[in-house]
Parts: sequence; C-alpha cells; structure tokens
Amino acid sequence: MIQVENLTVHYPDTKVEALTNISLSLNKGDFVCVLGKSGAGKSTFIRTINGLQKPTGGEIYFDGQPISLLKEEQLRKVRRQTGMIFQHFSLVPRLTVMQNVLTGMFGYRSSFKNLIGWFTKEELDLAKRVISEVGLSDMATRKVERLSGGQKQRVGIARALAQQPKVLLGDEPVASLDPGTSNRIFTLLTEMHNRLDLLTIINVHDIELAKRYATRIVALKDGKLIFDGAPEDFKDAEYEETYESIRQDSFFGAGI
Amino acid sequence: MWFKKSNIITVLILFVLVYFSMRLTEFDLAKFRDFRNMIDFLSQWWPMDFSKLPGMMEDTFETLAMAFLGSVFGLLIALPISFIAARNTAPSKILFHVSRVVLSFVRSVPEIVFGLILLTTLGLGPFPAVIAIMFHNVGVFGKLVSELIEAADPGPQEAMRAVGAKKWLANLFSILPQIWPNVLSQFFYRFEVAIRTSLILGFIGGGGIGQRLFNDFKTFQYSAVSLDVLIIMIMVIVIDFLASFIRNRVI
Repeated sequence: MIQVENLTVHYPDTKVEALTNISLSLNKGDFVCVLGKSGAGKSTFIRTINGLQKPTGGEIYFDGQPISLLKEEQLRKVRRQTGMIFQHFSLVPRLTVMQNVLTGMFGYRSSFKNLIGWFTKEELDLAKRVISEVGLSDMATRKVERLSGGQKQRVGIARALAQQPKVLLGDEPVASLDPGTSNRIFTLLTEMHNRLDLLTIINVHDIELAKRYATRIVALKDGKLIFDGAPEDFKDAEYEETYESIRQDSFFGAGI
Repeated sequence: MWFKKSNIITVLILFVLVYFSMRLTEFDLAKFRDFRNMIDFLSQWWPMDFSKLPGMMEDTFETLAMAFLGSVFGLLIALPISFIAARNTAPSKILFHVSRVVLSFVRSVPEIVFGLILLTTLGLGPFPAVIAIMFHNVGVFGKLVSELIEAADPGPQEAMRAVGAKKWLANLFSILPQIWPNVLSQFFYRFEVAIRTSLILGFIGGGGIGQRLFNDFKTFQYSAVSLDVLIIMIMVIVIDFLASFIRNRVI
C-alpha cells in the first residue's frame, strides 16, 4: 500500500540528515511501531508519508502515486484517506468535541459547505458513531480544552476515524499520557485497526507498548533503518543498538 | 549582585533625555502661580446648562456610531489582509511583503491627517470621519491580527492540513477560534480609542459630540461645555464597562 524507496530527508539548517536511504514497503493490516531515540528521524518519517514533510531524495508511493510529485489537489485526496494523531493532540481549541470530529470530513466536502458548517444527516451520524466508538458520547458538546489528555487523544482518534481512513499515522500519540491511559489508547487503536483493516504506523518511545501491540517493528537510528521485523525478533541486542547512547561515548571519549 | 556599571550609564542617558525634553516643552511648574485664573475660568462652567441636552444626546450617539463603524469596518477589512500579512499563512512571499508595506503605510498616517484630507474633499460631517478612523484601524488591526496569527499554535494548523482540507480553509479553521478572544479584546480597545479619536475629528468638522464641544467652547458657552464634558466622561465609562462585560462573556 505504501512503498518507501531510498527516502532521504535533509533539513536545510542542519548538517545531519534526518533520514538516510530508507526503503521498505508497508501493507494493509500492518500495525507498525516505529522505535528510536529522540532525533532518530521517527517524526520526520511519519510526516513524509502524508506529505507534511517533503523528501529531499527518494520517493514514497501511496497506492502507486509518488507523493512528492502530487499536485495540491491530489495530495489532499491522499491526505483525506490518511488519518493522523499527534503528541499534543492538535485539536482546534474552543470548538466542541463534535465540531472537531466534523472537521475530519473537510477533505471530502466543498469549501462552501465547510465554511457555513452544513452537514448531511449521514455525515452527522458518522460523527456521532465515531465519537461513541472512542467512548465520548456524553461529552460530544463539550469544548475540547475542558477534557483530560486521554480524552483529547480520543477526540484526535475520532477525528481521524471520521476521515474513513485507509491509513492511520500516529506521531508519538501517547508520549504525553500516563502509562494506564497509554495502554487504553493503544487498545482502542488496535480495535480500530482490526475492525477497519487499516495500515497503522505509530511512533512510540515505550518499547513495551510496541512489543505488546505492534505486528511489525521498525527501528531507526541516526536516520538509518536498523531493524524491520516481527516484535518477537526485536531482542536485547536490537534494543541496545537502537537506544545506545551517543552522549556516553563522547563523554568518555576525546575529552570534548 | 543586581547592580551593574552599565546601569549608571542608562540612568545618565535617561536624565539627559528628560532634561532636553523639558527644555523643548518649556516645562515649568512655576507657571502654576496663576492658579487663580483656572479657578475663575472653571467657575464659569457652573451651573450646567441642560437646555441643549437632547441635541447633545443625539451628537453622543453620532460619535458612538462613528467610532463603532470605523472600528468594525476596519476589523472586517483587516481580517482577510492579516492572513496575507502573516508569515505562516501568506499565499506568496510577494503578497506578504506588499501587504506588510501597505499596512504599515496606512498605520503610519494618523487619523487626523486622513480626517483633514477627507473632510476637505468629501465635505464636513461624520462620514469622512468614519472613513478616516476605518483607514487607520485597518492598519492597526492588520498588524495586531497578523501577529496573533503568527503566534498561533501550529499543531491544529498541521492537523487540519493532514485531514486534507484546502489550505485557506485549514488556516481559517485552525487559527480563527484560537485567536478570536484576543481579536475581540483588541477590537474593544480600538473602539475605545476610536471614541476619543472621533472627538478630535469633531474639532475639525467631523460632527458628533466633539464638534459640539468645540463649538460651545469657541462661543464661550461654558455652562454647555461642562455638560458636554460630563456626557463624554459618562459615555467612556459606560463603554468601558460594557466592553469588559462582553469580553468576560466570550473568553
């Protein structure tokens, strides 16, 4: 479904490459957890998939279409099939849960209807259904800033589901949540993943979560792909390699 | 610990500036020796002359209407321009720079200058004054709102682009709800300023209670002047109350 070929991303103001020559193919049904230290390129990787970040080399094919060559209109069509959830939830403040979820359908509707906020019965029903799926039915009319972190992320998931996505991306979606809430969010994601037969790609810090929920683990280090395989094959040695601290090396090194 | 040598220089510079400013403005407290004149003068303000009260009220509402229209139209025109003049939402670099230059130009021209030009060319009365206030407010709101847009949290903007919304719609929906309370706050502040401005514009023929105050003053009708001043003070206080009430309701 998504084909990544020699993907390289280079930020103009830094010398280091955020991603170097990544190649892999991601398929429907995969629940992929992307592991790596901060700065390993996880976030950049996720964001290139829906075109929020342009690659400087290589290409990503979404159902065969090269993302970096798409015109704005075609890119919007890719994006509307790709739900995304964020570390800081990125909900629209001062809008209600319902209103936030309805914005998930913007990619499918005319600008005029979006602007005046006119929705069909089916669209409203869809919004209500996804809100109940994430367990927030009795908070639908509440403004999002009055929710807890876990509830906010549920709104984020509902917004993504309102897109009726084929792909679900998560950029550190549980990094600002406590362990119990993180587990519940992952359980919900797994449920949705299985029911809708999605391709799910999620960045996580927590290796335990990745091993418990993922069907496939991808590990990045300094922008390079160092592991791609089943969770049970990600063992201590792989863990060491992914998280080995560069800072310690230089601390004991040449006295810098 | 908190005292540095550079502080002495700062204080010295401040002293020099204050000294020269006093020279330039002929600042001299000894002039209050003739305080008696002021008491004589102010005693002519009493008793207040209520005979012209209905006309004064009419003029007061005219002043309010001038200030209101000038700031509402200013905001409405400035809102779309602000999105062009904010770095993160500008459709192109050229438009961004052009709109910035236009905004700072209209902002740098004081209302009184617009007023003098428009009152001369369009004729006396409140309409030219409204346009003058509007022009200046377009510049002020354009700057304030575009700065609010630039400071808005980028998270929701990114999320709205990620759902596949058109860029302008994504920007509108992710930014406007965030900045709305601040925009409203700025609006009420500018409305209050516009009331004071329309008083001044009244002095040069822009109508309203300002013009009445000026005329009464110039024709030595001090018992009417005192009531004009009282009405203006009440108006400003009432608007201030109303503004903070509405602001609290929204925020």
